[in-house]
Amino acid sequence: MSESLQQILDVSVFWEYRTVLLRGLAVNFYVFACAAALALSLGLGAALLRISRQRLLRWAGTLHVEIFRNAPDYIMVVWVHFVLPLLIGTLLHTRFELNPFVSAIIALGFVYSGYFAETFRAGIEAVPGGQIEAGRSCGMSERLILWRIVLPQVVRRMLPESINQFISLFKATTIVSLIAVPDLMYQVSMIIQQEMRPLPLYTGAALVYFAVILVASYALRAASERWRNKIFT
Amino acid sequence: MGNWQRLVWNQRDALFSGLVITVEICVIAFACAIVVGLLLCLVRMYVRPLRFVAIGLIEFFRATPILVQLLWVTYVWPALFGWPDTFFTAAWVALALQSSGYLAETFRGGIEAIPRGQREAAYSVGMPPLLVFRRIVLPQVSLSTAPSLVNQFTVIVKSSTLVSVITVQDLMFQSQKIVNIWYEPIEILTATAAIYIAIVFLVSTAGKALADRLRYRYGIALA
Repeated sequence: MSESLQQILDVSVFWEYRTVLLRGLAVNFYVFACAAALALSLGLGAALLRISRQRLLRWAGTLHVEIFRNAPDYIMVVWVHFVLPLLIGTLLHTRFELNPFVSAIIALGFVYSGYFAETFRAGIEAVPGGQIEAGRSCGMSERLILWRIVLPQVVRRMLPESINQFISLFKATTIVSLIAVPDLMYQVSMIIQQEMRPLPLYTGAALVYFAVILVASYALRAASERWRNKIFT
Repeated sequence: MGNWQRLVWNQRDALFSGLVITVEICVIAFACAIVVGLLLCLVRMYVRPLRFVAIGLIEFFRATPILVQLLWVTYVWPALFGWPDTFFTAAWVALALQSSGYLAETFRGGIEAIPRGQREAAYSVGMPPLLVFRRIVLPQVSLSTAPSLVNQFTVIVKSSTLVSVITVQDLMFQSQKIVNIWYEPIEILTATAAIYIAIVFLVSTAGKALADRLRYRYGIALA
């Protein structure tokens, strides 16, 4: 017990590999940023489909949301990495391969677009109908109404909820290590295979993620509170 | 269609045994998460000296990715505490830890939402604190947090796919094993994804309906 405690407290391994590990953490942030951008744009699209007046489009939006909100992210990552290239390859009659980075971003982006779509929808539905009618009666086009009247309010309203989703998306980026994207977790496993010392390395990884996520969530929440107060008062 | 039969239907025994493991892990983890979450929440709210320990644990469980926690519990805990001794145990312990952090916060929200006057009324008629908790607080909290509980269970099901990484033979593990035998991932991975999506969809739809009905029956306004 005391010996293993000593091992855990020994951070020298972590320090020794700091450049590789930091590069891994940067990969986490990179995958997160790309997946978040994809998820936000797809989510907005799906939300607009869900409130559209055509029944078919509405169904398509609902299907998108239900599939991706209910899918475990790990199986989606594996599916996109191993099945999607085969399907595309058969369609194009060539050999097709996806870079693990690309598969990770596509999979996480699609999965989280389901959650974001619901947040967007709730935000859009909270905008009073009278405002949209007022926009129409001034002769604004639907697109202009969306950009000038609806979206600015939606963004502010959905901020607290979407911060939670950004945090879970960031946490989900750790699973991309399983398809060999060289993120922090992947580097940690590689080092463990070399050094055979899982105790300090896994504990260190857990603490690094804990610190990053805790700081990010508190900072984001404080910033969004301030911003919302400034605008809503 | 031949491929679907060969790779999915003929493998149904393996997939089913995997599904059983998945269900077992999720149910055990969920039950433990409720107990541990409630404990953490009560310690945080009512046990002054241990308050910061509870807050630290809750924040740690919530802010660490599940994969990291899973590997941490599996490979670090045995050396530290001599437990968990099997991968299966490690799997549900990790899932339970993660959810207990979230549930502790859910329960806290539920308890804080109960008007103070109710507790004061109970104390003033001479009920001891434990009875107040059991008769007045707990019934209302379990109803008001029911939708969040259902939601957390679906999160556990989704995260449970990761236990295949530590070689627990759940549905995900079985399907990847089939992929590794035949090298034909299209059908089996698609089927597995569909099974998971269907399970999570059913659990969340049925759970929400049940929660709403209970809340309606016992007179708590629908959120």
